[in-house]
Amino acid sequence: MSKKKSKGKQKQEAAQIPPGSPPTASGAVSGADQGAAALGALVAECAGQGLAVVDYGVMHEGLGNPPPAEHRKLRQNGQIIEHYARDMTVRVAAGAEWGAVQRAMLATGQFVPVDADDDVTVGEAIVHNVYGPLRLGYGGMRDLLLGLHYVDGLGRDIHVGGRTVKNVAGYDVTKLMVGSLGELGVVYEATLRTYAVPEQVIAVDLKLADPVQVDGFVNPLLVSDAAPTWLWMSLHGRAWRLRLAYYGRHSACAAQVRSLETILDGQEDIGMQGSARTTLAQDAAERAAHRRWQRQAPAVVKLVVPPAETGAVCAALASSRDHDPPLCLDALPAHGCIMTGGSLDGAQALRLEARVTRILENFGGLRVWYARPRGAESIRPFGPRQADWPMLVKLKQAMDPKNILNPGRFLSPELLTT
Amino acid sequence: MGSYHAQAMANVQAALQELRQIVGKDGVLDQPEELLVYECDGFSVARATPTAVVFPRRTEQVAACVGALNRHGLGMVPRGSGTGLAGGCVAFAGEVLISTVRMNQIETIDWGNRVAVVQAGVLNTALSEAVARGGMVVADATPSPGLSLREGEGSKTSSTSGGASGGGLHFSPDPSSQRASTIGGNAATNAGGINTLKHGVTSNHILGMEMVLADGSIMRTRAGSLLDGIGPDLPGLVCGSEGTLGIITRLWCRLVPKPRHFRTIYAVYGSTGQACLTVSDVIAAGIVPTSMEMMDGRMIRVVEEAFHYGFPTDAQALLLIEVDGVDQILDEQVGQILELCRKHGATDVQHCADAKRRLELWSARKRAFGAIGRLHVAYFTQDACVPRSLLPVAIERICQIGRDFGLQINNVFHAGDGNVHPIFFFDESDPAQAQAALRAAEKALEYCISIGGTITGEHGVGVEKLAMMEHMFNPDTIRAFQAIKGAFDPQERINVGKLIPSDKIRVQLVKPLAANVPGGAL
Repeated sequence: MSKKKSKGKQKQEAAQIPPGSPPTASGAVSGADQGAAALGALVAECAGQGLAVVDYGVMHEGLGNPPPAEHRKLRQNGQIIEHYARDMTVRVAAGAEWGAVQRAMLATGQFVPVDADDDVTVGEAIVHNVYGPLRLGYGGMRDLLLGLHYVDGLGRDIHVGGRTVKNVAGYDVTKLMVGSLGELGVVYEATLRTYAVPEQVIAVDLKLADPVQVDGFVNPLLVSDAAPTWLWMSLHGRAWRLRLAYYGRHSACAAQVRSLETILDGQEDIGMQGSARTTLAQDAAERAAHRRWQRQAPAVVKLVVPPAETGAVCAALASSRDHDPPLCLDALPAHGCIMTGGSLDGAQALRLEARVTRILENFGGLRVWYARPRGAESIRPFGPRQADWPMLVKLKQAMDPKNILNPGRFLSPELLTT
Repeated sequence: MGSYHAQAMANVQAALQELRQIVGKDGVLDQPEELLVYECDGFSVARATPTAVVFPRRTEQVAACVGALNRHGLGMVPRGSGTGLAGGCVAFAGEVLISTVRMNQIETIDWGNRVAVVQAGVLNTALSEAVARGGMVVADATPSPGLSLREGEGSKTSSTSGGASGGGLHFSPDPSSQRASTIGGNAATNAGGINTLKHGVTSNHILGMEMVLADGSIMRTRAGSLLDGIGPDLPGLVCGSEGTLGIITRLWCRLVPKPRHFRTIYAVYGSTGQACLTVSDVIAAGIVPTSMEMMDGRMIRVVEEAFHYGFPTDAQALLLIEVDGVDQILDEQVGQILELCRKHGATDVQHCADAKRRLELWSARKRAFGAIGRLHVAYFTQDACVPRSLLPVAIERICQIGRDFGLQINNVFHAGDGNVHPIFFFDESDPAQAQAALRAAEKALEYCISIGGTITGEHGVGVEKLAMMEHMFNPDTIRAFQAIKGAFDPQERINVGKLIPSDKIRVQLVKPLAANVPGGAL
């Protein structure tokens, strides 16, 4: 690793960290240990120099404020370190890509139920709190993550949580790291829950004339025998689509579809359009293809609203009277999470931000901009201001006292003045 | 152990007067006879008398109390119902206990968003019962000055657009202490329970919280009906922090669909090893039961002698397994589990869908510790967690450790989670045996750490396991924990000397005297 430091000009060296060791029966992890030592030395060196260590990931490079001009860019590699198949847990290097991890896991009949793209690393998925429709059936990253190894802002090697499914020893820093945007530490290893690959998946399409209808439909569905593994609403052009899926044995899925049909019998505005039997891998690939716009669009914003208002907020978003391009929109009605955006230019993004602000004033909630086009840099990435931000800034100061880990991306004293 | 605030004690009377002005005369206890019951929690080894106990009813009163105690230089310890099992809510340096038991209002049940807002002192079962009753609970929460309602949504009485009529939801965490323990306490200790195998521990069900910080300020974190926030997951950090980061005063609790269909399996074995192998195989098969609980032979006999459930008294292990879900598919799951039970030599396997029999079987499990209390033998219970595949070897090793120290060890525990609760019996009148029990417990924990386990799965560290923290974590991790504590409580005013080591207060545990926990909460 280079120790060069050039003043006054942009410096973006990619620091490569050795991958974790291959899976071993004994649990020896010398490769990962060397990686941890190298990572700690790198961070300590940068802390000494006051040089930023930056890792915004591959999927979320536009999330938050941009990094300082002078920084060292970090990229970790890695793979599964050990799969404790009989414990239904897996220990994996943070640099491992989800695609490789899932393929290796599927071969053993297990998987980690996270909606992450193949090229996203495990570390990125954790610190960006990546989730999607699977959160309904399996929980989010905070529920799946059991243990973490990370390096703090001084290069110190911290181990929290562990391999067991219950653990209350020490502070639960694993959860604090979820959504931390890489500002509280550099995660280099994680232990996650795994689940058995379902025998089959049945995906069901429902017609939905008006998104508001979903607000009265979700709760009765969730408390019924037809409660799905995932549920997802999207806008295609001008057509709304509600999709859900059942994972499990053939008999189980069939029973749940029959229950769904019974529920839909009494509904006038929501009806079944079709269903398809598929596999977990195909199901994951289809959902990944569908959400691809979220990585390609120049303008992407996530809204989190009270779940019971998801449909109403979607309707408000889609009912624009201006002549901007139609929005892409994906929503998780059970969680009140909405991703929207599209091929907007700066002026159009500013109008979308104004609309989002009005909607949040009406319904409550928050929003995070994942991508802002040129001309829309004035949009503040996070808002409205949350009451716990002062404490989060204090935690940043405690865990990264030199302020070198993705500095300024989210947590900074300036945040409190906005 | 010395009092770190001897000078401040001179100001005690002035502080008490100020506290009475805040919460009223009946809101402060300071007479020795009144303070007796506050000397310990469920871990009765560790006892100390607080200077006083104060009972606020609202968040603003908690904040005012903290401010007053700060002005007079007195430390403070938060306390719920005192059902903890690690000495986490005991005032070892003459601090004032801030009890949340009078903060017992269920403020909102928002059916549409599946969120309940409760004060920290609401009992776990009180919320479950209120949710089960259905209907509307009208909020009387007065928003705190300066707090944005939009952020907190604290005064929203109910959402009507969600469609749920109230039926079908519940608050899932179910610690065995749930009739007595508060939800604030459940969150502070990240309490587990019998159903956590499938449905998760308390932190999986807390969306946000309001807390009073050490400087007397009020902080809300992710408070509201939102299921996601911006940035780091602060409620996740505060859950399980054992009251060392602040005083939780209000919580936003996730309500989830209540399982409606169950099957309960009862399997009897000739050895604990066979039962443990069954547990390990069920997990490895990818089945996720609601719960998988185990009792060893002595525990079966103790429970049978006390309550006469009809368990075979010559059995060496009993597994209680429950599955929930869609009715039509449960029998198939039961079939898979029965096959595994028989594969590992279960001598008697029964299953039922009958609600009455189910309640009876679970009652046996929940009353196990009450039954021990009838033995008139001193004992204390450990809490550790191991990877589930290693449960058979862990139980064998723990029993061997008992034999090495000449002690009887018995087990009743959450087998599906790998969460073991070895019970160490000893002769209270024999100091050497009491010491041996403590040493054996320490050895058992060291062994659990050595195989990738943890020193506590659900009881917490408190003061009980403080000495083990350095076995469990490297020095840098301990320093990281201390830095986190420093961010919340830089002057070390709240619950100091618990969970993480402190130079300010150090509690020395000598022996497990009077360690019986009648009806213990495990």
